[in-house]
Amino acid sequence: MAQPMDNVVDQVAQLNAARSLVLGDAAFYPQIVNGILPIVGASTRLELRRWGANFLAETFASPMLAVAQKEQLAPNVLQTIREILELPETDTTVLQSLVQTSASLYPLVFRHVVNQPQDGKSWEMMSAIKQDILRRMDSFPCPVKLCCAKFIQRVVQVQTPGLISDPRRPDQNETSLAVVPRNHAVLSIPNLEAESSGLLDRLLDVFQEETSDALLVNATLNCLAPLIRTRQSVANKIINAVLEFYPAKHVRPPFTPTIRVSVKSMERTARALLINILKKNPNHPLAGRMQAYIERLMQSRLEATDDASRKRGLPNEPTDGLDNAKRARLNALPPPMLKIPPMAPGPASFDRLFTLTEDTGLSSFDVKQLPIDLVLKIVVPLLSQVHDSTLAQAVDAVRARYQTITKDQNLQRQQQQKAAAQDEDDDYEPEYQPMDVASVVSEEASAVAAEVADLQPELVSLGPFVLPQPPPLSEEEAGEIGRSAVARVFGMLNAAETSPAPAKGQSQQKLGFARLAGSTFDRDAWSVLLARLATRAPAGLENDRQTKGDAVRRQTTIAESIRETLYRFILEDFRGRLNIAVIWLNEEWYNDRIQMKSAANQRDGTEEDSEPTVALNYDTWATRLLDGFLAYLDSRDIKVLVRFLSEVPEITIAITQRVASLAKDPERVNLCVQSLMYLIMFRPPAREMCLNTVEDVYQTYEESRPAAGKVLTKWRPQSTVLETATNAPESSEIKPITSEP
Amino acid sequence: MAYDPRRTNSGTSTPQPPPPPPPPPETSTQADMASTAQALETANPASAATDSYKLKFCTVCASNNNRSMEAHLQLSGAPTAFPVISFGTGSLVRLPGPSITQPNVYSFNTTSYNQMYEELSGKDERLYRSNGILNMLDRNRQLKWGPERFQDWVPGVPRVDHLSKGDKGAIGTEGGVVDVIITCEERCWDAVVDDLMNKGTALNYPVHVFNVDIKDNHEEALTGGKAILDLANRLNEAAVAEHRVHGSEGWENGTGPARQSFDEKVPEILADWQEKYPNLPALWTLAWL
Repeated sequence: MAQPMDNVVDQVAQLNAARSLVLGDAAFYPQIVNGILPIVGASTRLELRRWGANFLAETFASPMLAVAQKEQLAPNVLQTIREILELPETDTTVLQSLVQTSASLYPLVFRHVVNQPQDGKSWEMMSAIKQDILRRMDSFPCPVKLCCAKFIQRVVQVQTPGLISDPRRPDQNETSLAVVPRNHAVLSIPNLEAESSGLLDRLLDVFQEETSDALLVNATLNCLAPLIRTRQSVANKIINAVLEFYPAKHVRPPFTPTIRVSVKSMERTARALLINILKKNPNHPLAGRMQAYIERLMQSRLEATDDASRKRGLPNEPTDGLDNAKRARLNALPPPMLKIPPMAPGPASFDRLFTLTEDTGLSSFDVKQLPIDLVLKIVVPLLSQVHDSTLAQAVDAVRARYQTITKDQNLQRQQQQKAAAQDEDDDYEPEYQPMDVASVVSEEASAVAAEVADLQPELVSLGPFVLPQPPPLSEEEAGEIGRSAVARVFGMLNAAETSPAPAKGQSQQKLGFARLAGSTFDRDAWSVLLARLATRAPAGLENDRQTKGDAVRRQTTIAESIRETLYRFILEDFRGRLNIAVIWLNEEWYNDRIQMKSAANQRDGTEEDSEPTVALNYDTWATRLLDGFLAYLDSRDIKVLVRFLSEVPEITIAITQRVASLAKDPERVNLCVQSLMYLIMFRPPAREMCLNTVEDVYQTYEESRPAAGKVLTKWRPQSTVLETATNAPESSEIKPITSEP
Repeated sequence: MAYDPRRTNSGTSTPQPPPPPPPPPETSTQADMASTAQALETANPASAATDSYKLKFCTVCASNNNRSMEAHLQLSGAPTAFPVISFGTGSLVRLPGPSITQPNVYSFNTTSYNQMYEELSGKDERLYRSNGILNMLDRNRQLKWGPERFQDWVPGVPRVDHLSKGDKGAIGTEGGVVDVIITCEERCWDAVVDDLMNKGTALNYPVHVFNVDIKDNHEEALTGGKAILDLANRLNEAAVAEHRVHGSEGWENGTGPARQSFDEKVPEILADWQEKYPNLPALWTLAWL
């Protein structure tokens, strides 16, 4: 009996010596591992198997032993492990160590097989061990089961694609599905992937259990971090599984101290895992949910700890709606009615008005003695505490008092007015002492302040305020100021031009003829305003001036300066500002008509001496404008010219002559003829005048003949110029200005 | 502890009476072997240290000076003489200075307790004697060489040199792994759990991580250290029981609760322990090295 036992002690001692050898120098590992395998194999004594399994677990986990050497040792060890497992082994310690060893071996063998596809035997053995472990996992004792969970984690990590850090150096890459070639003889990527996906589900199943095993949950949570970190493809699945897991829900009462320790540990471990993930990647797409989960965990933990000591809470609903005692609990009592004393006798003052207390000490307290910030500190929290209805009562009371006072005072005032037409303000003054407000009730006071402000104008009647007469302006100053005003209007014109007017189309369509000049504040409105400023505002003034003499005349009037500025403004961009020109010229023309009409009326009624003359501006400015931009028109500007000619209120000979002058330029002959033709066709009052011009052009400029000839044959076939076709100028008849818009 | 010699003598019918031949605890055996190679074979007394299964512990606080070292002392000095290593999770070793804004700062892993002791006693012996810093450092330098940082620890790297340096509790931790980590502050527990996740769980080795909240002063450290020792004893008892049940005494002999594994008992043990020490709030998880 003693003999075999001594033998075992002896052997263990020797083995320990061997272990201390490899711990001191990892180079001895291959020799020792191969040496001990027969001693600790399947059929040996338990002590030796324990030692052996433990030693193997330590060996393949050791960071000191190179991966290549571990790979070399693996096949022999696999054989031993498989044999021991198939005993079948029942000792927890041995099983635990063997599963640990298998977990360490799995990536090694996997990598080995990836590089050496011909070594299918190793893979076969590893697979057999894996199947054996997975099959028996659920029947293993707890400590072994924990190691099985870790084993699964390792398998999933290996059989899920990882990152290829450097494709040129495959030996440096982490062992994962990504290093397996597509056409590998032994390893089929789809199968491995499917298996790992299934195993991951099995691993995560622990979070779905009705009753959680804290050990398994913690063991799983603690091994998930590397998976989440290095395996992007499954990371979110794992995180979501964790986020669905609330430890407190997975335990059954009674809440023994042991259960409490378990729940707390699961909560803290889940939190640690999520914090670990968040620390690695604060911008994780699930960061928000993880934060919320962590916060919820903290809360549920507080609740759980409170649970033990907390007494039964109030019922959620009144169990009996008619029971007064219960109703009283749920509905707070209405605040007591304020006792509002009648206003203190004597002359009315704000002080008295707002004093709602009867306490003389309080009402005589001068709040002004307190620094303002202190008062604020007191009043603001007070206001938030005052009950709504209390405040309302106080306000109502003050309002009622106030109304009585005003009524009384109005009555008094009327009586006084009747009695003597005296200033009531004087009587009123003594009662009005605004700085006398009693702030004891300042919370009410400030709340009512807004209301009082509305009513106050009645109390505060100011005398009329008269501005002093301004010093008289000289002519120059007036002109200067006028011009600067005009300049500002032009500023508006520019501003309105630059700002986009998206709603313009809509509003203008709707307005149409119903539009009022200047009612919309867009560019057109401002230009109408300017045009009218130039034309109508000074109408009639200039006449006086003219009579006064040349000296005054020379001074540019405001109207003239506006016209000049408008003229320049339009010429700056005549294509874009043509409508302003049209508006302006229409105003001029209209103004001219009106002036002439009024002048004619005056003429009828007065003697011939004082015959009023009218300065006509339309002709001057229409020709000036035309002269201004004709030079810049090119042959394609037909639309601009036609629009101008068709929209100005009146065509004069001066205008047609200007247009005819375009024919001087061979390039613009067509422009000239076409615009004239347009007038002939669509502006009957000007037709004759234009036909004459065309004849003129036809005769003067040879280049115009083809085009002008057509126009003439159509509209004036009897024209003499067509027959003669000579250069002899024909005196064009001068027609009266008759065309109207 | 004191069970093997008598048991061998008692000569029970089963062949395994001596110490339940310890597979993992081999470390201590081997330590003995290093000193006295043949002692084990020749004399029974030597096996007294080797017989029982022992959990391997790791204590952690912020600076690896006060709380973790007090616990280190308690655990390594206990009659059971647990294998124990200790760490700090701070970025630097911080010891109180002349004022709260002038701490004495040292780097982990490269400064020995002795250096600190010498330096501080040179600076102001009276001050550091009276606030207990020198006493603490003196204790620490008896236990191990210097403070180590948890985040720099690579589990699984052999700690044979610590054994040869004579660190207390080094016997049994040569393999560089532990079964239980006990932190002394929630912050440290968070740091440890987080760091283990970052380390990648490459060893596939399960480890129980506890926190026992201890205020950072000498008195609390002493009480806390004793409480930690109590916890360690309870845990170890369960682990030993597991080994016995499934081991030499034959697991068929065990009854219901006895057949429960050590791991399964942990929440229960902690809950019981917490009832006894309500002022030291505890926390636990199962992590991986």
